[in-house]
Amino acid sequence: MSAAPADGQAAVRRSWPRRMLERALARPGRSSVLPLAAVVLGLTLAALGMFRGAPAPLVEVPPGYVALVNQKGVLESDLISQVENATMKRFDEATPEEKRRVLRSMIDEELLVQRALLLDLPETTIEVREAMQQGVEAQVAEPYWSLPPSDAELRAYYDKTRSDYTNDGTMIVHDLVMHVGGFQNANQSTPQALSDAADAVYRLRSGASVDYAKEHYGFVDSNRLPAVEELDFVVKMRLGDKLFEVASALGNGEISDPVVDVDGVHVLVMDIRRPASVADFSSVRDKVYQAYRREQGERATAENVRLLRSQAEIILAPGQEE
Amino acid sequence: MLAVAGGIAYAHEVRHQQWRDRLLSTLPNDVPDDPALVAFARAEAAPLFAQHCAACHGADMRGQPALGAPSLADNVWLYGDGGVYEIERTILYGIRTGNSKSRSVTDMPAFGQRGVLSDADIRNVVQYVLKVSGRRYQVEAANEGRRIYTGNANCGDCHAGDARGDTYYGAPNLTANVWNSGGEPDDLYKAIYFGQHRTMQAWFPTLSLFQIRALAVYLYAVSREPAAAVASRGTP
Repeated sequence: MSAAPADGQAAVRRSWPRRMLERALARPGRSSVLPLAAVVLGLTLAALGMFRGAPAPLVEVPPGYVALVNQKGVLESDLISQVENATMKRFDEATPEEKRRVLRSMIDEELLVQRALLLDLPETTIEVREAMQQGVEAQVAEPYWSLPPSDAELRAYYDKTRSDYTNDGTMIVHDLVMHVGGFQNANQSTPQALSDAADAVYRLRSGASVDYAKEHYGFVDSNRLPAVEELDFVVKMRLGDKLFEVASALGNGEISDPVVDVDGVHVLVMDIRRPASVADFSSVRDKVYQAYRREQGERATAENVRLLRSQAEIILAPGQEE
Repeated sequence: MLAVAGGIAYAHEVRHQQWRDRLLSTLPNDVPDDPALVAFARAEAAPLFAQHCAACHGADMRGQPALGAPSLADNVWLYGDGGVYEIERTILYGIRTGNSKSRSVTDMPAFGQRGVLSDADIRNVVQYVLKVSGRRYQVEAANEGRRIYTGNANCGDCHAGDARGDTYYGAPNLTANVWNSGGEPDDLYKAIYFGQHRTMQAWFPTLSLFQIRALAVYLYAVSREPAAAVASRGTP
């Protein structure tokens, strides 16, 4: 009894989207239907976007995280890392109790960090500010350190900063003094002392000993310096600027001219003098290298700050300068 | 038609999200046990690699010695055991990024530039490295190089006494004959003379956790392919 379907039946079997499309195309006003639908759809989507509320808080921990602490995720990867560091075992070998303990400490840490932000520690606590500053500096410096200097650059840097590699000089010097006035030598006048000292200097330069000068002219040790080799800055501190200037100009075995100071007339006898000198490049290569790297870091920080300044809005109060 | 297309797209997105959740819910080192998950991760990660990683590591993943970017197509790793978890840590926090979670225990000192080793010392150590990496070397120089390696240069502190390296420090295995900055004698000389301080950026949160996991799985899978497969793969 089956027969070929009539044309009408074939039409009935067409799918509904096709029928709708055909109907739309058959209508005289078809050119405006689709654009109108698109406009309505677009406006609906825009309205939905405008009036949609803030994203709902997460109530489940997203995959890849092990906890949410006030909506802040604790990474599973960090938990694995910390469990392995804390237990010195592979993560899958750690006991559930060990994992729990580490997770608890991570959550505690996160709570404290969140509290610190709430208390605005970066604004109020110097140590936190310094740590943040150092953290940023470390981040910007690392890429610079990946570019080692050439030998020529290192050498040029040494030449530029040569004074940083100066060895402090040393000396063993006798400081003899002929006191003038006061309880030590009340009757001695300065001109008389200078005259005696000049004579003593002549003798000393002719080969007389320090003891001879003490015995025959009344010189005594000033006791400002011990009779050992001292660094220049120590000598300067103890002798004072005036006498140090005289002493530092003396060579080995030289005797100074008489020098008038507050307590009398001094004569300096230089036993050993090792003047300050600049260390040669090869002996301080490592120091130069380290200093260069430090400067690279500082340069990176300076550039970073320059960039940040160029992007920042900084307004100074009237009368303030920087 | 729009509704159908939208429905299909929505179903696809839901299905995709399920795969993403599955990838992240699985412990990193367990992912390779699930071939379907690995296949999904590879498909997701290949374009990410091309976009973010190929500039340094090369489109063929064979690295760029000029940049010191290692080949990722072999199963030789600077950091960690080469498992998904360790690869993921490196991608997450980078190498020498300045933050404390990055790989930055130490770096290769500039032995020549700092004046620790002389020119002759370095040349001898180079011969020793050629020896342990299974290449032609000068016997006497290599013997002297070994003395320096274990002596005042303390190379073994990081590269280990047997020169097999230490992935905790990121000190390469010198016996593997795999070189990040070139393995010719001149390259080795420069590495010892100037040291190495290579960096890699931290990709978290530039990339999502899912993208990083997918990349880690991808690199893990590629590193275990037979060499012939890697060679024929070309651009990922």
